Amino acid sequence: MKLIKTKDESLKENFLELHYNIIDAETTAVLNRLKSSFGYIEGTIGERKTTVALSDIFYFETVDRKTFAYTDEACVEVREALRDIIDNHAEAGFIRVSKSCVVNIYKVKKLEGDMNMRVIIYLKNDEKLIMNRSYRDEFYEALKKLQGGSGR
Amino acid sequence: MKLITKHNFFYIVCVSFTLITTGKLLLEKIDGFTDRYYSENIFTILVISILGTLVLATHYYLRRFPFIPVFIGQYLVTIGIVCLAIWIGQKFTDFAPSAYKDMIISVTIPFVIGAIVYYVAFFREIKKANKLLENMNH
Repeated sequence: MKLIKTKDESLKENFLELHYNIIDAETTAVLNRLKSSFGYIEGTIGERKTTVALSDIFYFETVDRKTFAYTDEACVEVREALRDIIDNHAEAGFIRVSKSCVVNIYKVKKLEGDMNMRVIIYLKNDEKLIMNRSYRDEFYEALKKLQGGSGR
Repeated sequence: MKLITKHNFFYIVCVSFTLITTGKLLLEKIDGFTDRYYSENIFTILVISILGTLVLATHYYLRRFPFIPVFIGQYLVTIGIVCLAIWIGQKFTDFAPSAYKDMIISVTIPFVIGAIVYYVAFFREIKKANKLLENMNH
């Protein structure tokens, strides 16, 4: 299986296209790995039901026992608890950074440390999250694991 | 990751005790110094090894709290225990007149070195993580 990367600066959104004759085991494995990244999650905005692509979500946060997913433009209430999100969508890059927050590692721009050894996470939408010391090792492990993957 | 568990706690204390004692004896041999308080100091090293291992073991459980208050709290508790141990010890045996000062210095130096090493490792880890993020994003 060949991978051809083409840079096109006029594109508004990156896309992947698969050209195949038959889908063999190798291709199936790649597709399965991609499937987690292209998943969707259902939720509500007010009374309106909606579906959000996991790749659009910057982070999940629990407030008053309710879980919210934050995209660049919307805040969607979802049914899943943070634990379920980690269990089901860790492959899509979701990792816990505090008791009440799970971040999409692909949406992280940079990290910065403070004197109290907490890590400030700067997201690509310029929001900031605080990572507790107890979740640091887990975050770095996930980051190292994903190191082989290409950027999104 | 929990590095110090109840299974390896005493191994770590024993290794620390052996290393510190060997270092002490080696320095005394080089200097030609005779320790008048040899047995008291050996017990002091044992107490320091236990305390040091305890401090490092509690670190895992205190990770959800901000580092500076945890560090200062651990330091004060350790100094308190050491001073209390000297005060109790003085009832039974002779200590050097500078025992309090010596012990405070002996506790402070490893704490300061530990904090520096921890800070350096922390910021180095962030730098490494930022490089990985940069690679992922480009």
